[in-house]
Amino acid sequence: MSMEDYDHLFKIVLIGNAGVGKTCLVRRFTQGLFPPGQGATIGVDFMIKTVEIRGQKVKLQIWDTAGQERFRSITQSYYRSANALILTYDITCEDSFRCLPEWLREIEQYANNKVITVLVGNKIDLADKREVSRQRAEEFAEAQNMHYLETSAKEADNVEKLFLDLACELIQEAKQNVLVNNDVSVMPGEGRSISYLNCCSFR
Amino acid sequence: MQELVTEVTCLMFVWVNMSESVAKKRSGSSGLSAISRETIENLTELDDLERVYQQLCDEEKQVESELESLVSQQGNIETKMLALQRMGPNLQLIEGDASQLSGMITFTCSLAENVSSKVRQLDLAKNRLYQAIQRADDILDLKFCTDGVQTALWNEDYEQAAAHVHRYLSLDQSVIELSRQGGESSAVDASLALLQEAEQRLKTLVKERLDQAITAGDLAQVERFFKIFPLLGLHDEGLARFAQYLCTQLASKAEENLLLALGGDLGERRAGLMFADTLTLLLEGIARIIETHQPIVETYYGPGRLYTLIRHLQVECDRQAEKIVDKFIQQRDYHNKFQIVQNSMIRSMSTEKIEPRELDPVLLEVTVMNSRAELYLRFLRRRISADFEVGDATAPKSTMQEHQQGLEKLLKHCLLSRNMQELIGYYIPMEEYYMRETVNKAVAMDTYEKGQLTSSMVDDSFYIVKKCISRALSSSSIDCLCAMINHATSVLETDFREVLYNKLRQGFPATTLQDIQRGVSSAVSLMHSSLQQGKFNTLGIESAEDAKASFLVTLNNVEVCSENIITLKKNLENDCAKLFSQGFGSGEQAQAKIDSCLSDLVSTSSKFKDLLQEGLTELNSTAIKPQVKPWISNFLSVSHNIEEEEFNEYEANDPWVQQFIVNLEQLMAEFKAGLSPVIYDTLTGLMTSLISLELEKTVFKCTFSRLGGLQFDKELRSLVAYLTTVTTWTIRDKFARLTQMGTILNLERVTEILDYWGPNSGPLTWRLTPAEVRQVLALRIDFRSEDIKRLRL
Repeated sequence: MSMEDYDHLFKIVLIGNAGVGKTCLVRRFTQGLFPPGQGATIGVDFMIKTVEIRGQKVKLQIWDTAGQERFRSITQSYYRSANALILTYDITCEDSFRCLPEWLREIEQYANNKVITVLVGNKIDLADKREVSRQRAEEFAEAQNMHYLETSAKEADNVEKLFLDLACELIQEAKQNVLVNNDVSVMPGEGRSISYLNCCSFR
Repeated sequence: MQELVTEVTCLMFVWVNMSESVAKKRSGSSGLSAISRETIENLTELDDLERVYQQLCDEEKQVESELESLVSQQGNIETKMLALQRMGPNLQLIEGDASQLSGMITFTCSLAENVSSKVRQLDLAKNRLYQAIQRADDILDLKFCTDGVQTALWNEDYEQAAAHVHRYLSLDQSVIELSRQGGESSAVDASLALLQEAEQRLKTLVKERLDQAITAGDLAQVERFFKIFPLLGLHDEGLARFAQYLCTQLASKAEENLLLALGGDLGERRAGLMFADTLTLLLEGIARIIETHQPIVETYYGPGRLYTLIRHLQVECDRQAEKIVDKFIQQRDYHNKFQIVQNSMIRSMSTEKIEPRELDPVLLEVTVMNSRAELYLRFLRRRISADFEVGDATAPKSTMQEHQQGLEKLLKHCLLSRNMQELIGYYIPMEEYYMRETVNKAVAMDTYEKGQLTSSMVDDSFYIVKKCISRALSSSSIDCLCAMINHATSVLETDFREVLYNKLRQGFPATTLQDIQRGVSSAVSLMHSSLQQGKFNTLGIESAEDAKASFLVTLNNVEVCSENIITLKKNLENDCAKLFSQGFGSGEQAQAKIDSCLSDLVSTSSKFKDLLQEGLTELNSTAIKPQVKPWISNFLSVSHNIEEEEFNEYEANDPWVQQFIVNLEQLMAEFKAGLSPVIYDTLTGLMTSLISLELEKTVFKCTFSRLGGLQFDKELRSLVAYLTTVTTWTIRDKFARLTQMGTILNLERVTEILDYWGPNSGPLTWRLTPAEVRQVLALRIDFRSEDIKRLRL
């Protein structure tokens, strides 16, 4: 990696129960596709997309993990180096929402404490089958100090926003890190220029 | 003819034109003459008359000339008219020819139409004739088949009977229908009925006989009837029954193997791998079955059917593999071990702990099992893809995709895969535990032998990390390998680096008298930190010497770690390349995943480098700076405001620099022996920077005579010469400012500086600012401040 043609590199890991649409979110964002009839993910998948935000090239390494229990130990090994986690559930599946505290425990245990976590309620195109109300999810996210966003990978609703807002926040975080402690443990996404720009934000 | 017509038109046009112009002229001369008769009659004067006469004469001449020219054209026109008249009969001839031609064409056309309609009729007749022949043939075949089937069945020649039925099935069904509607219906009907009955009878018979053969385990008979199924259009059923036969064979063999393994009759050597071995036998058995029977399936069932057979076999494979895996979990206490590991990783104060060494065999066995499964699945993928490729050569893209999806689903989601994924899912935390615990043990048992640069924990820890990653790699599972690389990165970056960091934090104990206080405080902080860690680390406070050695060894350790990480990454890259070249991992994605994990691993190397830099800075400021500073301060006590006599005495008995060099030599000897050459070199680099900085500060506090300046120049030269020998860094650059100060202090007159300044500086780049130059000049007591002020720099 001698000629790095980007200003920032961030690792984003998607987690959440099986079948909530993690792979579809990643495919929608990186390839603009919504492949129906996806099989369950095996282990982890890895995608890269470079986006430009305010003139800066941001390389996003997106790790799409398998939701099934038997892959948990593989998934867990990626938490520590993640800059951001996207915790996904399915708004039409109460179960996937109820499992969130369990996922938060995992994050607590394995991720580094600087990680940014976003809660995502996917499948809003199936509004008539909704089981988890927006308000409930928002309250939960607020109590856990997370951003909350509802998306539809199928209709490409909020998918772009999810990743781009996250990238903005990561850039800001990186810049503040550089300002606060210039020589202490450099994060993977180290910023180059030091300036405060008011970036876009969630909601 | 066309030419003729155009010529005629042309001529006629000319003629018409001419007659028109003549007519116009004529009317002009009579009616529109310039002078009217009345005007002439009214004329009375001679002059006027003459003038009019003249005018009339002119007009007459003009008219005459016009007439002449018209007359001259007459001949031309006459010849043209003649030509036209001659053409007349020709035109009539042409008209006759044309009408004749048109008649001929019409006739030919109708003739052609007649002929082609006859040809069409003929073609139709021919086609019908062919159809009739085909039908006659089919009916004959049908008859032949009917008779053949009867006799063949009678003779129990099932192959022959099936061939007849196959022939019947491949007949055009519509033709048969047509025949039934025709006159000869009764005969055909009878044959058909017979044939259909024979077909049904044959089907049940063949099924029965195959089932019998399967029950009897008679391979020859099984194969015989298996070959008949596709002739009767029962491809899927044939494959299913055949697979059923193969599965029973497989099952009995597998159960036998498992019982044998559990019986413990195996040699001790393989006992640790008995489940992996049993699984290997199972998978190899299936692979052999596929290899043996693929030709039959290809020959009698055509390409693209292997997938169906393997799908049936995989069900039995899954069943048998699960039995083995269940036994493995039960006998090796796999889940329980995992639970203990899990508990002790979450709560470090767990009562029940497992000795990492106890995990060794079970971890090995799991990786062997998974690698065998991966090998087997790769074999299936290759075989099925190749078989599909032959069958799908002309198939539409959608069929190909469908086949591909079916294959992926079979391989990725079969129970064997799921079982293996589960085993690996438990394996990873256990391997992580093994790595963490063993590395911690290596750190706890750290020993250092005198004369060695590094201590045992570095080599030991890297040996362990390497062993764990290699074991994960040997499982052939890319995700498992990536997970272990991630864990290794985490262990090195947090656990291991933390240990080294804490050791460096204990500091390098000072020994000189004036630093006793610092030594005490460092010892206190050391005890404090040891207590905080919950254990009393005796290492480092037994004696200052040991503490010093420990610090230097740690520095070496840090450097070796950073090197080892890079080596580890390179080796892993090579190993992965080997794995990929064998066809494991699904292409680019797997490569990208490993690359990403490896680049995380290698980035920890630079964190160790940073740590080394921190440690060296610490060493420089605690061990070198406090010693060197007073030695440099001694420079102040040696007067440089000297005359000839003192200068000569200094020449005989060096007042400062020789002792300084000896002191430095003694100070650095310890580090030279205790540090690796690279680190030592960096340290001397730090030291020379320190010396140049401190000496500069000191010089500014002195005063110099002309000879004092010369003395300083001499001293500086000796010092630079000595430092050049002890380091590979370029010293001259670091001492550039001091050397330039020496030059200034050595000047004869103030204005002499201008010989070296500005346009006269030549290759010399001044590191001193004009203000600093004045400051240095002012150090010379014999230079007058007015002269210095007057200088234009």
